[in-house]
Amino acid sequence: MELDVRGEMCPYPAMKAKEALKKLPATERLDVITDHAPALSTVPWEGAKLGFAADVQPLAPGEWRIRLERAEAAVDQRKALAAIAARAAELTSER
Amino acid sequence: MQAGALPRTVRLPGARVPFTVVGAFIAIAAFGVYFTSQDFKLGAYWFIGVAFGVILQRSRLCFAGAFRDLIMGGDGRLLRAILVGLAVATVGMSFLMARFVPDPSFGTLPPGAHIQTVSFATVVGGVVFGIGMVLAGGCVSGTLWRMGEGYLNSWVAMVGILGGLWAGTKTWSWWWDHDVSKREATWLPAKLGMLPSIALVLAALGAIYVAVLWWELRSPQMPEPVAKPTTPAFTVRDHVGLAWSRAFRGGAWSYLTGAVCLAILGTFAYNIQAPLGVTGGLGLWTDQVASAFHAGGLPLKGADQLAGCTAGGGANWLTIRTMTMSGLVLGAFTASVVAGEFKIRFPRRAIRYPQALAGGALMGYGALLAVGCTIGAFFSSIPSLAVSGWLFGIALFAGAFVGVQIIRRLP
Repeated sequence: MELDVRGEMCPYPAMKAKEALKKLPATERLDVITDHAPALSTVPWEGAKLGFAADVQPLAPGEWRIRLERAEAAVDQRKALAAIAARAAELTSER
Repeated sequence: MQAGALPRTVRLPGARVPFTVVGAFIAIAAFGVYFTSQDFKLGAYWFIGVAFGVILQRSRLCFAGAFRDLIMGGDGRLLRAILVGLAVATVGMSFLMARFVPDPSFGTLPPGAHIQTVSFATVVGGVVFGIGMVLAGGCVSGTLWRMGEGYLNSWVAMVGILGGLWAGTKTWSWWWDHDVSKREATWLPAKLGMLPSIALVLAALGAIYVAVLWWELRSPQMPEPVAKPTTPAFTVRDHVGLAWSRAFRGGAWSYLTGAVCLAILGTFAYNIQAPLGVTGGLGLWTDQVASAFHAGGLPLKGADQLAGCTAGGGANWLTIRTMTMSGLVLGAFTASVVAGEFKIRFPRRAIRYPQALAGGALMGYGALLAVGCTIGAFFSSIPSLAVSGWLFGIALFAGAFVGVQIIRRLP
């Protein structure tokens, strides 16, 4: 499933991602498309809290795809937090 | 820098810089020189506005988010940073006020300080503003900074803000006659003395900080931005490069850095004439345009007795407030282009446009009633040791709470 939240700013990307994840069929994954940099940490974090692992990839300059898939094992929130913050910093500082 | 997004660049020593950045720097300097030649204060507030925009853009210090995120998700990081900023500004501005008014018990208020009345207008203004900022996705300063970053949503919100300010200007006389003129502008040092006032404000900020932290720790934490490991600097050029990349390349500044920078900037501004404020300038320009259609409302009734972020007499386009707000937009634009974060972004959901418009209108009306926004009536008022800043802050919180209930029900 794809969720296009381009042009939306906080709190909507995380809020809409959370709503979509709660309704997501068990076999599906969610792709969130955003152009709001803070969403790179808030969306994966909403995912982590619901047991999803995130993969963030740049689509275009200033545009990213956050792929949320159900994690096989239980998500360690501390590790997930550190990883999310590091990935967000990486994506917004390398240009 | 994103080569794809900004292909036209010029080569300067060490780096390729987009034309936009060079143009923005030239514009900032040229306007600065021009305004300074008109009046030193204008030039100073122009540069203060630019710095204001850079600080907000780099640190993403969102006052609307400070209240909203705590209520919505138990995330108090922004609010805690702002509390620290308020403490720094309180100390800084108190030192200046103590010099301006050596004996506070005498009854004179420090000139230029944002000491609004303890009135229903301040409370109603705060609640209305609080609802509006959550609907619009940013307060007035947040809207100005995101306009510079390319958020179309914020441009729509600004239209609402101007409309709200105009409506406020036209109905102000009623508020003045029935409420504001009868109320007192309470300055804490006049009642308690300077040192006890500073101590009381700092203690209250500290207590709220602890309360917010306690509230925050009840729910899962949010990711903190991680500083990227830096390569060691050996030469002067390395050091300059490192400083530049820390300021403009490393993702964003921490909220705390932004809030403390803003507090220092506010103290600087007060040293010249008045602390930070933006809505007064917006109100003035709105009224200038409205006057052209014989629909102006300035000067406000009782304007000579009003403290805070006022629009002034309505006879001039260039004031310290209009300098601050226009500098802010250009500063935020420049910072976002330098950081490669500028992008025209428009919401795909149609509801966001009327939502931003309505939120903006509420903010404009609220800011006029309270004689300031989250900056002028909150971030500049509490450090002015004014009771009104606290009143407005509490009202903002209540308004933000209502706003959160509304946006939870929107698509």
